[in-house]
Amino acid sequence: MKRPLQAIGGVGATVSRHAGGMGILAWRTLTALVTGQVSLREFLAQGYSMGVQSLPLVLVTSILSGVVTSQQGGYQFTGSIPLYVLGSVVTSSVILELGPVLTAVVVIGRVGARITAELGTMQVSEQIDALYSLGRDPVKVLAAPRILAGMPAMVLLVGISNLVGVLAGMFAARMTVGLGSATFLYGARLFWHSYDLFYSEMKAWAFGFIIPLISVHMGLLTRGGAEGVGRSTTGSVVFMIIAVLVADALFPPLFLN
Amino acid sequence: MIEYRQLYKTFDVPVLAGVSFLVESGETLAVVGPSGTGKSVLLKTTIGLIVPDRGDVIIDGQSVFSADVDELQAIRRKAGYVFQNAALFDSMNVFENVAYGLPEGALKRMGRREVTARVARALEDVNLDPAIVLGKLPAELSGGMRKRVGLARAIVGEPQILLYDEPVTGLDPVNAASVDRLICDIAERTHVTSIVVTHDIEGALSISDRIALLEGGKLRFLGTPDEFRRSRDPLVRAFADRQAAVAAAMDGSARAVREVERKAPALP
Repeated sequence: MKRPLQAIGGVGATVSRHAGGMGILAWRTLTALVTGQVSLREFLAQGYSMGVQSLPLVLVTSILSGVVTSQQGGYQFTGSIPLYVLGSVVTSSVILELGPVLTAVVVIGRVGARITAELGTMQVSEQIDALYSLGRDPVKVLAAPRILAGMPAMVLLVGISNLVGVLAGMFAARMTVGLGSATFLYGARLFWHSYDLFYSEMKAWAFGFIIPLISVHMGLLTRGGAEGVGRSTTGSVVFMIIAVLVADALFPPLFLN
Repeated sequence: MIEYRQLYKTFDVPVLAGVSFLVESGETLAVVGPSGTGKSVLLKTTIGLIVPDRGDVIIDGQSVFSADVDELQAIRRKAGYVFQNAALFDSMNVFENVAYGLPEGALKRMGRREVTARVARALEDVNLDPAIVLGKLPAELSGGMRKRVGLARAIVGEPQILLYDEPVTGLDPVNAASVDRLICDIAERTHVTSIVVTHDIEGALSISDRIALLEGGKLRFLGTPDEFRRSRDPLVRAFADRQAAVAAAMDGSARAVREVERKAPALP
């Protein structure tokens, strides 16, 4: 009886410690932003790295997700449900779920892991201490530009991913079940809510905040040489995926009712 | 003046256990001792990079651990810190690394020409040719050059205190001697207060005004190099004798090399 309680207590303490650390990090980032201490050059560089350089991979995943959704929907609907419904299914699936979540997974793998490894290496090679010793605050210099750049970058990526995913689904519907573009768009418009687009971009803002916040936090906590960098990068990726999926699960009850 | 007051720090084991001493302005103090006795921790507490469990560090009358954020940054700007592995910023070239040692916003206030001149002067002070190294990334430099760039970054802001964390570790004897000479030259020229954490007893004896020996987190010896050599404390003797043995071995090696060269047939 004692052991499970101890384990639960241990997990609770770890979660509280990380939550507290990230809360302080977020607050200090906000303070740096409000007091104008975030370098615009560094913010733009991070935004370019997170947004523009992630675009090719995001395009690949959105095309594939649109095509697969369309093909599988077409396979299930043929002979039982009017095929124009496929337009709605693909559009809703991509915009409400696949676009934001798959883009987040791509950004976790490409950007989140890099940030943790980069800051972790700086931590174990005393570069973070060097910043402090030179009278600089690593939160202002390193953390804030990364955390702040994540949100606009994700909004841009999710917007493009949604558009490309729907277009790819429309193309796949024509090629596989012979559904014309006009019919596909008719189905899409039939059940369309403009709010869905806003909902999708709200998810993008949330994921764009969560991913760099966790990756920076885990990077700055790194200890113990190259092995420590590996450990914190793996931990960070797991942490980010779980956090994104939990946030994703919270969105429908909070914003779709 | 730097005053260490009853510093205590425990990680898994006690690392500092009540260390107190004074470092006078303009003095060069070498801190030696067996590995894991808290030398680097002591150095990092000096400017608040590590917070002790108890105790304080007072720099020119100002408490490091009672200071608010702005005061702490001001204290840190008084000091230059030379890290064991230089801790240069990987993504910046040598110019950017050294210029980072200037106060924040220096480029705007001083202008590019002045900043470039100060960076070049700092590099020349550590015997590096700015024309060769300015545009290089840290990964393109040798270990000795990286240490010198780290030293240039520490001195470019003209600090009143220089803290060296094992400045010659990993260097060959020639480079180590040259870094030791640099430490002496900078101290003589700028009258900066220097604290040098080192395992190199020979270097410590040659560069310092006083030597502190830490053992088990406590101050075991504090005195001049002459007092260190004459001390009857067994641990101090072990360190001093090791230095004598190393010096003799190096002398012996030099003699052996000269002998080989004398006997070797002349090259055509």
